[in-house]
Formats: sequence, C-alpha cells, structure tokens
Amino acid sequence: MSLAKRIESVLSRKGTVKAWYGIVILFFLVMVIIPTLFVLSYAITDWNNIQSDIFTTPPEPTPQLIILESGNTKLAFHTYDIIDITIYNQLGVVIDSPGTVRLNYTVFENTDDSVKTYFSKGDELPSGNYNIPILANSTHNEINHVGTVTQNVTMRDASGNYLDSWEGPLYLRAGSARPMDLIWDAMKVSFVIATIVTIIDFIAGLPMAWLMVRKNFRGKKYLDTLIDMPLAIPTAALGFSTALFWAVTPKIPGAGLGLTSSPFILIILLHIVFSYPYMVRSLAAILHEIDINYEVAAQTLGAPPLTVARTITLPLFRAGLVTGIILCFSRSLSETGGTVAALAMLTPWLSDMAYPMQTGPTLIGAWKHAGGFEPQLAFTAMLLVLISLALLVVVKIVIMKFKLPLRKVMPGPERLLSKGAVPKLKDALAMIFMVLVLLIPSFFIFSFVFTGEPAPVDWGTFWLSMGFSFLVAGVITLLNILFGVPLAILIVRGKNKMLSNILDVLVNMPLIVPTAALGVSLGMFWNSMSIEMALFLVISAHLAFTFPLVVRNVAGALEELDPTYEETARTLGAKPMFVFKKIMYPSIKFSILAGAIMAFTRSLGETGATLAVVKDANTVPVYIVGLVKVGSYYPAALACIVLIAITFITMMVMRYITRKAER
Amino acid sequence: MPEIIIRNLKKVFGDLVAIDSLDLTVKDGEYLTILGPTGAGKTTLLRLIAGLEKQTSGSIHIDGKCVDELPPEDRMVTFLSQTYSLFPHMNAWQNTIFGPIARGWDSEKVDIIGREMLEMVHLYDRKDALPHELSGGMQQRNALARALCADARILLLDEPLRALDARLRLDLRHELKKLVKDMGMTAIHVTHDQEEALTISDRIIMLRDGKIIQSGTPQEMFNKPASPFIHHFIGEANFMEGTLTGKTGTGSRLTGESGRTYDIAATNLEVGAKAVAGIKTEFTIMEKEAKDGVNDFPGTVERKLFLGRFTDFEIALDNGHVVHARLPSSIAHKFDEGDKINVHFDPERLLVFPVPEKGLKAELEMM
Repeated sequence: MSLAKRIESVLSRKGTVKAWYGIVILFFLVMVIIPTLFVLSYAITDWNNIQSDIFTTPPEPTPQLIILESGNTKLAFHTYDIIDITIYNQLGVVIDSPGTVRLNYTVFENTDDSVKTYFSKGDELPSGNYNIPILANSTHNEINHVGTVTQNVTMRDASGNYLDSWEGPLYLRAGSARPMDLIWDAMKVSFVIATIVTIIDFIAGLPMAWLMVRKNFRGKKYLDTLIDMPLAIPTAALGFSTALFWAVTPKIPGAGLGLTSSPFILIILLHIVFSYPYMVRSLAAILHEIDINYEVAAQTLGAPPLTVARTITLPLFRAGLVTGIILCFSRSLSETGGTVAALAMLTPWLSDMAYPMQTGPTLIGAWKHAGGFEPQLAFTAMLLVLISLALLVVVKIVIMKFKLPLRKVMPGPERLLSKGAVPKLKDALAMIFMVLVLLIPSFFIFSFVFTGEPAPVDWGTFWLSMGFSFLVAGVITLLNILFGVPLAILIVRGKNKMLSNILDVLVNMPLIVPTAALGVSLGMFWNSMSIEMALFLVISAHLAFTFPLVVRNVAGALEELDPTYEETARTLGAKPMFVFKKIMYPSIKFSILAGAIMAFTRSLGETGATLAVVKDANTVPVYIVGLVKVGSYYPAALACIVLIAITFITMMVMRYITRKAER
Repeated sequence: MPEIIIRNLKKVFGDLVAIDSLDLTVKDGEYLTILGPTGAGKTTLLRLIAGLEKQTSGSIHIDGKCVDELPPEDRMVTFLSQTYSLFPHMNAWQNTIFGPIARGWDSEKVDIIGREMLEMVHLYDRKDALPHELSGGMQQRNALARALCADARILLLDEPLRALDARLRLDLRHELKKLVKDMGMTAIHVTHDQEEALTISDRIIMLRDGKIIQSGTPQEMFNKPASPFIHHFIGEANFMEGTLTGKTGTGSRLTGESGRTYDIAATNLEVGAKAVAGIKTEFTIMEKEAKDGVNDFPGTVERKLFLGRFTDFEIALDNGHVVHARLPSSIAHKFDEGDKINVHFDPERLLVFPVPEKGLKAELEMM
C-alpha cells in the first residue's frame, strides 16, 4: 500500500473522522459563536456597571453660565462621560438655524501627559447640541478632567454676514448627557436609516430585478456586472466617495455637488449604494426560480401584465423578499467604515467624537477609540445583537404571514398602467436610479484624484497597513476553508439531523449581527481570557464575521449534489477521504473558491469589527478613515483607488474562473 | 459464493418502522426484484444491505461472512441509483477504474483489468466519453463494467430504469438482465413497476410496510397472489365480497350481500366463512349475446377508455356491481359505450382470499 493510501485510510477511520468533526464544531463554537454572543453574558456578570454607568441619571449638572462677551473665561467642568454643550440666548432659547455661531474658542482636554484638542480656534460650529466626551485616561482615572473653553464669539446672520454685535448675551452651558440618551438616539438613527434604506432598495430594486430576469436586451451582460460594482469597493472608500459627491464638505469645499449637509440623508444615500446589489440579487434569484408559465397562463386568462405581477408573481416571491430585506437591513445596521468616513466629512473640525449624528456602530467605534467605556460598549453591542436576532425572526414571520390584497383587481387602471409609456418609464427610472445613486457616487473618487490638488502620500504607512490587511485576510481565508468546508459537509450530510439543524441556524448568526457589536463582544471574550494581542484579535474578529460565507457557499453546492454519487463510490470500495477527494471536491471546489474570495474581500474592506475589537489596529480601511477624518482627502482617495483596484482584480479573477467552470 | 442471508432485520426511523423483522435469502447468481408501493421500505432494504444505513437489529451475511460492522467500501456490493450513478465529471475509463484506484491497486493491474472490462461491454473505443455523451444503453454497460472492475459480485439497483423514457426502458431491461447473467453477478433490483418486475426477475419479493408479503417466481406472483393487495397490484383485479355457501365440483361458491352467487376457485376456507374473490381484468370476459349460465351477469358498458395496446371497459352490472374488463385494442371495436352485454367470470380465475383484517378497501390502498 502506498503512503498516500495509508494516510487516506487513517484519515478515513471512523474515529479520525469523528475526532475531526469534533474539532471543527469546537472551533466553530469557541472561535465564532461564543465570542459573537459573549457580550450577552455581560448583562449577567456586570449588570451593576450597566446600572450605574448607563441607567443611573447623573446628578443634575451645574449649568455654568458664562456670558460669552465677558472676556476670556475658563470653563472648567468636573463631570461625567459626555458633556453636552448648548449655546443659547438669554431667554433660554437655543440658537438655531439659520444663524451660525463662530466660536473663537478651543475646547481641549488637559490631562497629565497630553492635551487633546476637540475644537480648534476658528472652527465654525453650526448651532445645536454637541456631544464632547471627556476621556478616561489610563494614568489619570479619576473623573477629574478639565476641559477649558476660551471664549470670544462672533455671530453671523442668515445671509452669512458677520455681526459686530448682538442683542443680549449668549450663554454656553456645560452639562452631562446621559449615555442612555446617546445610545437610544444612535439606535433610533440606525433603525430608521436601515428601514428607509431597505424600503428604497425594494422599490428601486424590484423593477431592476424584473428587467434582469424577464427581459432580454443588448448590454444586459454589462448591466449585470455594473450592479455588482459597489460590492467590489470597500465601504470606507464608498463612504468617502459618496460623501465627496453629494455632501457639503467643509474641510475641502466644492469637491463635489455639495447638495446636502444633512448627515441623515447622506448616510441613507451611502447605505443604498452598498445594500442595493443585495436586494436586486435576492429578488432576481427567486424571480429566476418562479416558473414563467404561471405568468403566461395568467396572461392568456386575460390579466394585464401589472395584474399578473401583483397577483401571481409577487406572492410567490416572499422567500426572496425575506432574504433581500434581511441582507439589506443587516448590512445597513452593521456598516461602520463608510458611515464614519461620510460623517467625518460633514464635520468641520478634526475631532472624531463630535459627529453631527451617531449610528449604533459609529458610537461603538467612538467609545472604543476613546478607551474605557466598557459598560456603554457592552450595552450598545448587546442591544444591537439582540435586536438584529429578533429582526431575523420577526421579518420571517411577518413577511410569510402578510397577505397581499389579491382579490381586488382593478382591470381598467391596471391595464392602462401596463401599456404604453408607463412600463418604459419604470425601466428608465430604474436605470437612472442605478446610474445616479449607485454608479456615479461610487466612482466619483476617481474624478477627484484626477482633478484634485495632489498632496504628498505617506506610502510607507499605506503599504504597512496593506501588508497587515493582507495578512489578516489571508489567514482568515485559510482558516475558513480548513474549518468551513467540513462544517458545511456536517450540516448537509450529517447523520444527526438535530445537530445539523442547530449548526445551520447558528452559522447564520454572525451574518446578521452588526460587525461592530461582534467586535465588542469578541474583544470582551478574549480579554476575559487575558488575550490582548492585536493581530490575534483582529484575525479572530474577521474570522467570525466571514465564517458563514464559505460555509453557506459550500453548503449550497452540496445540497445540489446528489448524495447517491458518494454512496455509489463508497460501495465501489472508496474510503470516505477518497470519496471527498474524487467525488465531492470536484463539484464544490468553485463554491469553496467563491466563498473564500468573498471572505477575503469582506475582510479587506471591513472597518467596524476592526475598530471595535482593537483600539488602534492598522488595516487599510482604518487607515483610510483616519486620513478622511483629518481632512487628507487626496492621499485617502489614492489609497482607496489602490484598494479598489486590488479588490476588483480579485473579483474579476473569481468571475473568470467560475465562468470557465460553468462551461 | 456471494449469497446474501438476512435474518430478522429491523430498521426504525423515529416512529416509523421501515423494515420489520425481515428474513430473506438471495441465492448466488439470482436476479431478484423487490416490488412494492411507495414507502414500502424497498430502498431502505437496499441501503441496509449496502451498508449505507445501519440496521436497528438483525444481521446480514454476505458470502458466509457477517457484514454488520463493515463499512460500505468493504462489503463487495455495488449500489446503483437511477441512471446508474456514473460520476458526471469522469469519462468512461475513469469511471470504470474508480474502484481499483480507490483501493490503491498498482497501476499496471488497473490498466489491464479496466481495459478488459471495457472491452467486454464493447465500450473501449468510447473510453474518453463523459457519461452524458453516452447513450442510455452505453451508460448501463459502463456502470456494470465499473461494478465488475471494483470486484463486486452483487449489484444493488435502485430503480435503475426510472429516469429513462418508456421505449428505451423496455429495451434496456432485457439487456440489463442479460449482462448481469453473462457476468455471473447477483442482482437485487428495486422497482414499483410490476410489469418490469414480471419480465426481468428470476424471483420477486413483494414488500409492504417493511414486511415481505409474498415471494415467488413471476408466474407464481401473477397466478397465485397471496392477498387481494398483490392480486390487484400485479395486474388490476375486480373483487367480490361475500360468504362461502357451498362447494361445487372443482371449486366453491360465494354468495354476495345482495344474494347473487359466484362459482369460484377451490379454497381451504370453511363453508360459512366470510371471503373475498378477485379476478384480473384481463380474464373478465365480455360477450355480445345474453347468457344465463353460471357466473354470467348482464350489464351495460358505461365507459370505454383507450390505453394503447389495451382498452379498459367500465361495466355496470344489472345487479348494481361495477367491474372492469380489459381487451386487446385490436378487438375492442366490438363493444361501445351503452352496449348491453354479458359478463362472464371463469371460476378457475376467481381466486379466493380470507377477508383482510382492515377490510377490503384499506387492503387495496397503495399506501
């Protein structure tokens, strides 16, 4: 017997196979599932901290009323995590638009060993509420930080002219905001945005999916590729590019259209860009499955196309709709890097704390970056985990139970809407939406680099972070294959159906949990075991959220593969390992490849989990977001383009290989 | 001698008893068919023999050796599903030598035996063809060559002809049996097609609810079914229920509820016992002229259904009973819907059974 046969025979032994599956399950639980959900245990072990740091209302802050015209006044506050600064007039009315207050003051934190500046002199501060956290410091743990405000305020009127004087004094009040209010606001923002994004995705995505599946036209192939384009771009770059295109960018004015300074609208526009392809793909996939003969039958029975679509096709559509909604919603809920980049661009000062708005993940990023804030991080992550898991269940139930008003048919109007210009208009709108909202904002970054003012780029740091990113992505891809493939086999071919079903449900979990929350949870898990090595933490975080990709892909392919081939091979004398090598592997190798490349590119583009697990990890997206924050747009754009190019080449290679395989 | 001996075999899936205390001996070189309705446990029995499922209790011996603890690869049986499970990504040659390669035989020996087997089934010149490039017959020969090459002497065929179209199915079933016999293999062939079972088998076992309810040659199964169910499953039958009221010269007499009497075949049942008599539709005779003899009943043709080679007639007898008769289509033109006719049952063909436990209707249900 040759050596290879001998190894095969050892590996095929019942005991070896069982032991290997045991290791795989153990790996899955310890590296993926338990760390993902570990944060929930914080509620039990450290409820006191949550209680005291989040729910307990801090003592009413002493409003320190400073009359801003009275020369240089030092504002000292001894207070809690977050300082709430409100500028208001003598009647207590908050100064609101359209007036703008220009503060000639500097807010900084003065600790033992460093001075941290939040606002620089000359920053323009739109009126409203600002959240400025006072940082805990490792050498200076007392809540005794001193922030100093030197005043001198000038004011502009609605038309932008500076006023020499104003009627009555202005006041600056410093007080503390409750963390719970911040968390609650961020959650609200996250969910409202995710909901709006999902609805828009559906409305704009349905005609596009229809066009892709039910119509034939020239250039369909290219449209197919174009839809996936935004997926090839890391979200940090997307956020940067989209904000550059749409937003008013105070740090470099006039870079793009400058249409909006609303963070809310900007983030919605951004989230549509990277979630829309998922919706179109999910809907197209299920539309493809629906037998066109039903539609033909309904049409020959006299129903106009719109009635057919509404009463026949859409009700059969639910499974795809559930997938699309869950994917879009969870992607929007989870995204960090692009959102941080876009928000930073709206903010005139160099702080990464005082965004005009926070989402759940950006709040986690900010707190983590500041250091300390463990109860706040844990609680926010916990809420995100629980709500996203509940969402999965609720969406499934609601969509499956929801009844469309099928009985009511309006033959007249529906016939009218099915004819002439209306369907053409619908198709045209779908195309315009895609070009204007997806494609141009995604690639605007290129025009910026070609037309923008060149600035020096620190390539050394860039390539260092590129190396770090590739190391992480490479390691997690290998681990994904090594453990993901056996897990997929166990899920699809396992003899114990109960175990398979449980694993099947569990494996989807990291897909739905927002990556920032996953990062927090995972960081806590490993810290509880005193493991704090940055490389290990980043790798395990990336492993956790990419793990479902390989498993899902391979499990999908295995479900398609008729098990009788494997059984016949066994009865012809092949040991299990040989069956895997000769029968199973040739059929699933492209799915392994597809899953591996998805995991690789997702890891390359991820920001949220990286920031949440380690304070200062050095991956490319983090590097890009850092550049955007300090206003170095040109180097950031160049870094983005290099990253896009690399991701794009990887995806093209995958397409080429899988296409070749299909032939 | 690759003889299979199965003793007291039982397989339970959750609450479902798939195979129930089954005993079976398959002789060397025999072509055995397992016939039965969907859900009877046919495929489960094959999978147990192949080692793809583990039995709950009982034992299987192959070639005098207990194989209960052996994995599928060491049992020397080959399991083939629909279209023979030829590996779609391998050509005829790679498929054929799969077994020897899997067992790690040295390559010279593999080349010799592979060539020998492919030549034997006349496929050597197509050795580079992928399965989908081969015709149905070639695929069948390739699969058998592959099984032989793997040193298997027992073939387990799970509805191998099911995926083929009707015409090809007829041709290939004869070739399949011929090849198996020529190669000296033992075959167990699972099917739910009674016609296929009748034409191909040395012996048929009829499986229902995990139990063997009859075993015998095709002729025995057809002519001497052990229960009304088998009588109806292998060729359709008309049934009459009643009480045994006497003996005739060569047979017995059955009286139905409404008082009509039938002369039927001989039986061991006592006079006075409740009984069921059944006759295959082929043997239900239709005559133009009215008669008034034994087992003659007047009736009207209600429906005439053309089935191709045969035509099925639904006849309402004047006594209220509805029966079916089947005639070759070549003579079916003699009768039309609405015709008044005479129906005759040959007493010899009216087989008698005790009344089934759950009643006749439940007995005849296919599930």
